[in-house]
Amino acid sequence: MFWHIFKNRFKCLTRDKITVFWTFMFPIILSLFFHFTMSNIDRSNIFKPIDIAVVDSNLYRNDVNFRKVLEDVSTGEDRLFNLTVASREDAARLLENKEIDGYIETDPQICLIVKKSGLAQSIIKNFLDNYLQTFSAVNTILSQNPAKRHELSAALNDYKAYIREVPPAKAKLDIKPYFFYSLIAMACLYGCFLGLREVADIQADISPLAARINASPVHKLKTFLYSSSASLIIHIAEILTLLAFLVFVLKIDFGENTGFVILTSLAGSFTGVSYGAFVSALVKKSLNVKIAILISTVMTWSFLAGMMYTDIKYIITKNLPFLSWVNPVNLLADSFFSLYFYDSLSRYALNTIILLLFAVLFCSGTYLIVRRRKYASL
Amino acid sequence: MVIEVKNLVKRYGDLIALDHLSFYVKEGEIFGLLGPNGSGKTTAINCILSLLKYDKGEIKIFSRPMSPDAYDIKRNIGIVMQNVAVYNELTVYENIDYFCGLYITDRVLKKRMVDEAIEFTGLNDYIKFYPKKLSEGLLRRLNIACGIAHKPKLIIMDEPTVAVDPQSRNRILEGILELNRQGATIVYTSHYMDEVEKICSRIAILDKGKVIAEGTKDELKAMISTGEKITVEAWNISGDQIQRLRNMPSVISAEYDRPVLTIKSDKGRNNLEEVLTFLRNENIQFGKIYSELPTLNDVFLEITGKELRD
Repeated sequence: MFWHIFKNRFKCLTRDKITVFWTFMFPIILSLFFHFTMSNIDRSNIFKPIDIAVVDSNLYRNDVNFRKVLEDVSTGEDRLFNLTVASREDAARLLENKEIDGYIETDPQICLIVKKSGLAQSIIKNFLDNYLQTFSAVNTILSQNPAKRHELSAALNDYKAYIREVPPAKAKLDIKPYFFYSLIAMACLYGCFLGLREVADIQADISPLAARINASPVHKLKTFLYSSSASLIIHIAEILTLLAFLVFVLKIDFGENTGFVILTSLAGSFTGVSYGAFVSALVKKSLNVKIAILISTVMTWSFLAGMMYTDIKYIITKNLPFLSWVNPVNLLADSFFSLYFYDSLSRYALNTIILLLFAVLFCSGTYLIVRRRKYASL
Repeated sequence: MVIEVKNLVKRYGDLIALDHLSFYVKEGEIFGLLGPNGSGKTTAINCILSLLKYDKGEIKIFSRPMSPDAYDIKRNIGIVMQNVAVYNELTVYENIDYFCGLYITDRVLKKRMVDEAIEFTGLNDYIKFYPKKLSEGLLRRLNIACGIAHKPKLIIMDEPTVAVDPQSRNRILEGILELNRQGATIVYTSHYMDEVEKICSRIAILDKGKVIAEGTKDELKAMISTGEKITVEAWNISGDQIQRLRNMPSVISAEYDRPVLTIKSDKGRNNLEEVLTFLRNENIQFGKIYSELPTLNDVFLEITGKELRD
């Protein structure tokens, strides 16, 4: 009997275009949309050399050190500046026309001329301050101790950083994967559409089809469990395909704990299907009302988990931490993030335990409602 | 007895849907539950199938109390719902196979039964069709095939011909008679009196959740005083003449809605002749004349004072 019900249920669900769209195609489409949007963000974040000018003067031409340093940082692919050597008038005109972010005056002394403050202007100023400090220090050392010339030269060439950058976790902090973690969390919860159908098709007070199944000589809960197995397997396959698509096609980094990532996906899928079944059993309204409830709750959870705007997750965690613990999408997305970012599994474990508590709650609630053998009205 | 229903009471709040309903169904008969919409037919069926809670009463099927987990009883029941209850994502063949498979586990036997159900309902040319591609008549036939494929001893059909064209309807009715000939006991609910009259061996007429009359169609018709209904196309008939018609010994009622004169008379043998003699003697011009025996609608009308289709 298991195989008979499972096989036919499998056919039904895989042929149901609307369910397949919401549980499988929609997350894939959304991931592509995210991918292209993120690519544009990446491109806009690439550092562009700053357009500057230096006023051509005898002092500049004779200041070999400064000229050499300036030319060095203005050549090559990783250059800091696009340098133009110009007369004072031309430099002023370029600045006026916003063709450069600032120009360097060299006579009587090195100084920066800008029209506004900003990141580019700060970088130019920082560069000049650094140069002037180093130049001054070298001059002072050499005037007091000329014998140290070679030692000083070696020290300047062998630049040492005395502060070590220590990452807080095993991965670099990159917000981009988080969008995809919340997306896969949403996709897991979209399994609710399969759970919805499972209950709708065994509750005699919901559909004539369910009444026919209730009148058959198969225990209702057995029918529910057998057909729910088909739902769960289909949804797990969909989620694993989405995961593979994200990892292998869109190159999203899920960290090194592949086993735990898959386990989280399975737990998410189970929670999603059980959530749909619970709402379907609990809400005594039409199928369309139930679908509306499921879509609106999952999308709200996804929003609060930071799928559309990552800062909202921070705001919720800071001001209403309770909301982040009762949001299955957030728990799932945070589980994926924990696996990617942290060395320790403690945060991941906490998220997963709470998520499974939700699944237990949904399953128990569904059982208590669905176990009814007769209905008050049909 | 195949079904025994005793003092069944079902309330929806203040509304009494079934009011101490009692009836029985004998093996091998086609038992009709006839009544207008809202009379309690479907509620009674759902209670019999143990889908619906009821407040009071007793239901036995095959002499055993019916309950939701009486799987041995359910195994021998076939249901044809009022609304088509099939999976839209499964083909005609797959649907019949699925529902048959809930009753029959032997694969070879199941295949044979599915093929026979397809043959029986004439769906051979549509086995690969999805339900959405079927006409209403074919859909109803699929609904029936899903309910009877496992060859149940008892088939419960709840208005299976609603919204079906006359050709498909006749085919369905002939199919029901054939199922009965093959040995199935059938409970048939409908508000179409002609269908019930045509196929049912015994009939219970329901109104407001009660059985108001029960018996064979002849027994039911014998319960009322009307023996014959004569309809005459007549012109120039006066009020006085209608009154004199009403005063005739065999006439129960006479109504004139120009040009149709409707006369209901008792069970006498020469009613038509007497009416014709009266029309000729009174020099009343008349055209077409029909004489018909009372219908179940007349039975319902006389007992309740309202039409079955009200």
